[in-house]
Amino acid sequence: MPFDVLDRVLRPLRSRPVTSRYPDAPPDLPAAARGLPELDAARCDGSAACVGACPTGAISLSGSRWTLDAGACIFCDACERACPRDAIKLGRRIELAARDRADLTIEREWRTER
Amino acid sequence: MAEPLEARAAAPVASSRERAASRNGAVEPVAPDALGPRVADTVAAGGRFVMLVGLDERSVGGDGLAVEAVVAGPDGGLVRLRAGLPLAEPSYRSISSLVPAAHWDEREAKDLLGIVPIGHPDPRRLVLHERWPRGYHPLRKDVAAGARPPDAERHLVPFEVHGEGVYQLPVGPIHAGVIEPGHFRFSAIGERVLHLDARLGFAHRGLEKLVEGRSLAGALPIVERACGVCTVTHALAYSQAVEALTGTAVPPRARWARVLLAELERLYNHVGDLGNICAGIGFQPAVSRLGWLKERLLRANDALTGHRYLTGVVAPGGLVADLDPACLAALPETLDAIGVELASAVRSIVRSEGVMARFHGTGVVSDRVAEALGALGVAARASGLGHDLRRDRPYAAYDELDVGLVTASTGDVAARFHVRAQEAHESLRLIREAAGRLPAGPTAAPLAAVPAVGDSAIGAVEGPRGASWVWLRAGADATVDRLRLRSASFANWPVVAAAVPGNLVPDFPLINKSFELCYACSDR
Repeated sequence: MPFDVLDRVLRPLRSRPVTSRYPDAPPDLPAAARGLPELDAARCDGSAACVGACPTGAISLSGSRWTLDAGACIFCDACERACPRDAIKLGRRIELAARDRADLTIEREWRTER
Repeated sequence: MAEPLEARAAAPVASSRERAASRNGAVEPVAPDALGPRVADTVAAGGRFVMLVGLDERSVGGDGLAVEAVVAGPDGGLVRLRAGLPLAEPSYRSISSLVPAAHWDEREAKDLLGIVPIGHPDPRRLVLHERWPRGYHPLRKDVAAGARPPDAERHLVPFEVHGEGVYQLPVGPIHAGVIEPGHFRFSAIGERVLHLDARLGFAHRGLEKLVEGRSLAGALPIVERACGVCTVTHALAYSQAVEALTGTAVPPRARWARVLLAELERLYNHVGDLGNICAGIGFQPAVSRLGWLKERLLRANDALTGHRYLTGVVAPGGLVADLDPACLAALPETLDAIGVELASAVRSIVRSEGVMARFHGTGVVSDRVAEALGALGVAARASGLGHDLRRDRPYAAYDELDVGLVTASTGDVAARFHVRAQEAHESLRLIREAAGRLPAGPTAAPLAAVPAVGDSAIGAVEGPRGASWVWLRAGADATVDRLRLRSASFANWPVVAAAVPGNLVPDFPLINKSFELCYACSDR
């Protein structure tokens, strides 16, 4: 028992810190992490495959405007897998807090000059 | 008390038009009033009640409603008994007085489909509370998804005990903490609880309605997110049902990876729950140690799959993506370190007399009560019942593994603690073995066929809280016609309520945490 206690007391001297610098430094995300979907506007052709694939109806397409409701997104990557042109990737952005519900809506113009 | 191995091999062959896998069993039509006796006979012959599914047959060519009882037969196969019910008067003789494990299933089918179990001992509302209007049954096919009926002016009818010196202690549904909603009405005399009425359903989101009409693939993210901590369990049970419906064979690598993922889920849950049990009595050193251990497991999950709680990995046909090879290689070393620390943490708890004095003899569930109420998982095994789907009805690659059965006999908090601790070590062993035997090859197969409208299949997985079952029926063009998710928490909540009377009010948090059930996947 005393050795057990001694072992526990001295353990921090033998090991590296288990905490990270986050939020002062960027979070240490694994390679497969699924953050907010990001649209590559240059690749998007407006097929709306992502709109149909999204299980929560978080994505809409109106004219040249692609809209994502980050408050409804569940980061399942159905949009990424559905896109025929690989225009959507689940990115590394995980900090999504907003002061207003409306601020969770992200809009992109997909139609480029063509 | 394990089922003999030979029993599993002899599954009955399906002969109905339902083209489900053979061990899904054939649907046998029965008269409404014969349902109860037939279920009771099967249970008496050594079977176990699995679930009741309310159905609206109008979407698959019928003209009324139906109720299907699923019972796991003594030979390992499923007995499925379906009674058609006229739309005008959809009622049948309640089976709960014969098979008490069915009592919440019957109440749920009454709320959601208006199927009335005549003579039910507790016919109150369950998932749709009193403020939902009478006659509104959302799982009927003529009710649109997203319908918002007006509030009814009725209020909760709690079950209370009255008498001299008896007082009522209402707790919840909003709790002062980051926990899920539930209303607990204690009738107590002094500090001793006479009766506990657990009122759940506050987290009912209508997920089963929400998935209707979606593609078989499109329903997965919703089923998977029925709760946050049984994601592999539910995704896997759903995937099994889809694979049975479509006749899809899962590649070997995915079968073994599914074992690995299911055990990782069990492990982080068990480790976290061991700590949470200690939180129930304020034993902070153990809470901290086990909390940090759980965090290390979550980080290992994250590195391996990209998600701390393992969502988005399992899908019908196999896996969404392969496991990260570098993290897979590092996994045995991580697990070894965690195993040593876990054993040390558990030792420090077991050696603390003050802690064990609170654990022993608290929240006792006898084997008789556990069996009658249909307890599952740790709740069953801690009361001496040797049920474990990994052995009784193996899936993924469990048929090639020898899963050690862990049981205890006392049925108290201490028993549930010990069962979890030993199962955590068994999970560590199984993860190592699965990682070592993981074959090379593809991780997914395309779905082999489009199921016929009206075909149904069943998936079942032994999750951290016990067996979760998915009943799935196909609609047109490979869509979901009806899905029922009967989570282990749904089965075990009535067992919690039965464990509390006779104990002190301040022991309730401890008893509750010794089960550590989800509200979200129970309420759906």
